[in-house]
Amino acid sequence: MMKHVLLVGLLAASIGSLAAPPSSELAKAPPGGPPPPPPYQMRAPLPPGDRLAGGKDGAVLFSNRCGACHLAGGMGTNLLTKQRMAAGESPESGLLANRKDLTQTYVKAIVRHGKLAMPRLTRVEVTDAELDSIGKYLGKAGP
Amino acid sequence: MKLTLPPRVSAAKFEQALKAFEGVVGKGWVLATDEDRDAYSDIYAPGPESEWPASAALAPASVEEVQAIVRLANEYKTPLWPTSRGKNLGYGANAPRMPGSVVLDLGRMNRILELDVGLGYCVLEPGVGFFDLYEHLQREKAPLWMSVPGNAWGSVIGNALDHGIGYTPYGLHARNLCGMEVVLPDGDLLRTGMGAMQSNHSWHLFPSSFGPDWTHMFTQSNMGVVTKAGVWLQPAPESSLLITWDIPKEEDIGWVVDTIAPLKIAGVIEQNVFIPSWLGKIVLKGQRRDFWDKPGAMPESRVQELLKEHHLGYWQVQVRMYGHEAVNVAKAEVVKKAFRQHLDTPPHEDAWKSGDPVNQYDVTLGIPSAVALQMGDWVGGRGAHMGFSPVVPANSRHVLGQLRRSRKIIAEHDVDFYASFTIGGRFATNINMLMYDRDNAQQVTNIRKLFNALITETAKAGYGEYRTHLGWMDPVNETYDFNHHAQRRLNEKVKDALDPNGILAPGKQGVWPAAYRGKAVERGA
Repeated sequence: MMKHVLLVGLLAASIGSLAAPPSSELAKAPPGGPPPPPPYQMRAPLPPGDRLAGGKDGAVLFSNRCGACHLAGGMGTNLLTKQRMAAGESPESGLLANRKDLTQTYVKAIVRHGKLAMPRLTRVEVTDAELDSIGKYLGKAGP
Repeated sequence: MKLTLPPRVSAAKFEQALKAFEGVVGKGWVLATDEDRDAYSDIYAPGPESEWPASAALAPASVEEVQAIVRLANEYKTPLWPTSRGKNLGYGANAPRMPGSVVLDLGRMNRILELDVGLGYCVLEPGVGFFDLYEHLQREKAPLWMSVPGNAWGSVIGNALDHGIGYTPYGLHARNLCGMEVVLPDGDLLRTGMGAMQSNHSWHLFPSSFGPDWTHMFTQSNMGVVTKAGVWLQPAPESSLLITWDIPKEEDIGWVVDTIAPLKIAGVIEQNVFIPSWLGKIVLKGQRRDFWDKPGAMPESRVQELLKEHHLGYWQVQVRMYGHEAVNVAKAEVVKKAFRQHLDTPPHEDAWKSGDPVNQYDVTLGIPSAVALQMGDWVGGRGAHMGFSPVVPANSRHVLGQLRRSRKIIAEHDVDFYASFTIGGRFATNINMLMYDRDNAQQVTNIRKLFNALITETAKAGYGEYRTHLGWMDPVNETYDFNHHAQRRLNEKVKDALDPNGILAPGKQGVWPAAYRGKAVERGA
């Protein structure tokens, strides 16, 4: 978790240009300058088996199904970090996995209905069974 | 979204068709609720999403299921709109061109069937995304690189089929396709190239074939459903060298293109060179209102202030060399020498070697990211974009002409100017990102007018778009007008021969089957 906090903390200033900081500078944050973006975040592999069946690990499913945008340095994390900081919240709360205030119902509603830059996801991208597990994982504030 | 039936299909018949489809894919993979229809609409739609409504979606898991669906679609006359992963953002996402089409979502067909490290290719199903393939290559420790588009959320095959472009030496994605398997509109199964021979070993290696090669007939096409394809991959280089210049003035793009294109054509530069204008940089530093809080396009005086404040050039050029270190250094010297004729400032240089960390946002290293979509945040609200994408010869005369023309039209419509040129060889693609708030009706109307004007004026000047949004497929098709639209007439003849019931992606790229030809109401917006 410490690693995540650090990465996201660095992010706010570094949300990069597409012509991002050179790769060789990733290892060494320049003094006083913007910190480097986090490295590519490997997602967990999709659990095997019937995607319509429930009971799978929500953390794994979140990583695999939502990870393209919601791991460190992802598009969703970057935008949420900006929003959270503007609202006086901590930068690390830009990572959904760190949030304590989300309910399962809210998570499911956003996935199915979208919000601002977050598009709706189809039931092929995230099945209802998968969303139940993801909702339970992210929805730390309850149902 | 409420149900829009396909043209000429009654509610009862549609119900029967869905039941029949359930028999193929199972009840859980026929998606036909109002919420499902919402999820298969264009999230960046310039106007109401109900202009391009799907009636349902089907998600097959195998080529046999695709064949069975296509046969049933012929029986029930339900048009199908195939998508690989549905992330054609800015061009219509996963929404169909014709109202009431059933989306054939190939996202479950996501197997990486083969990976050949020695010959540098893989065989993929259409549901495999750039992230999936990248992670597979990492896990296998395969010394191969991919080429990725700016938004890499989508499908490797889907992007290549839609003529997507990346920024490595393998950046012309359709050219990386070699040997495809295709379900034809009658349910028959074809393999293109050497795959036409049973068990041929060179299927994904030899780009031509014996006899006419049909491979590219199935790109940007409604002639078949591609169910697998060979994709060539770049051998991972042992080292790489990136040289970056900020180019101060707008008109400098002329000499920049005249400098880069000959080096690209000669092979000194191997990658596609991406040259974004300043807005491409600032869009990630904040929202529009952080820099300019009035409606209407940002005035040039403010643009110049911002460039100074943020130490940006009007354009940025990055050239990356790939391969052996000494060769990279020598090639970079050639490029730098050419730039010195026009610009005193030396470039920023950044060397990378195998084993060094890689920057997750660097598309020139083939790392997939969706971070380019952050530009949607520029205008705030439900920010969206459309891309106006003409192709021009890669020299200053044509590039400056295109820049001045589109700049003038965009200014007349009071919209911020954000363009890029990508030099792919003898041509440059010019992507004009037109950003708008979907909930601002005036902005939406204005963007549509602007888009129409850009298509018309650009075609008059002798240039065409290589790709466009659903709502403009007919107008852009119309601009390809040689010999009384000879290409359209050929497309229609082929379409009618292969797809007499007109069930595959009616209207894709403006190619309509006989059943809907000239039927404006059925065809929709």
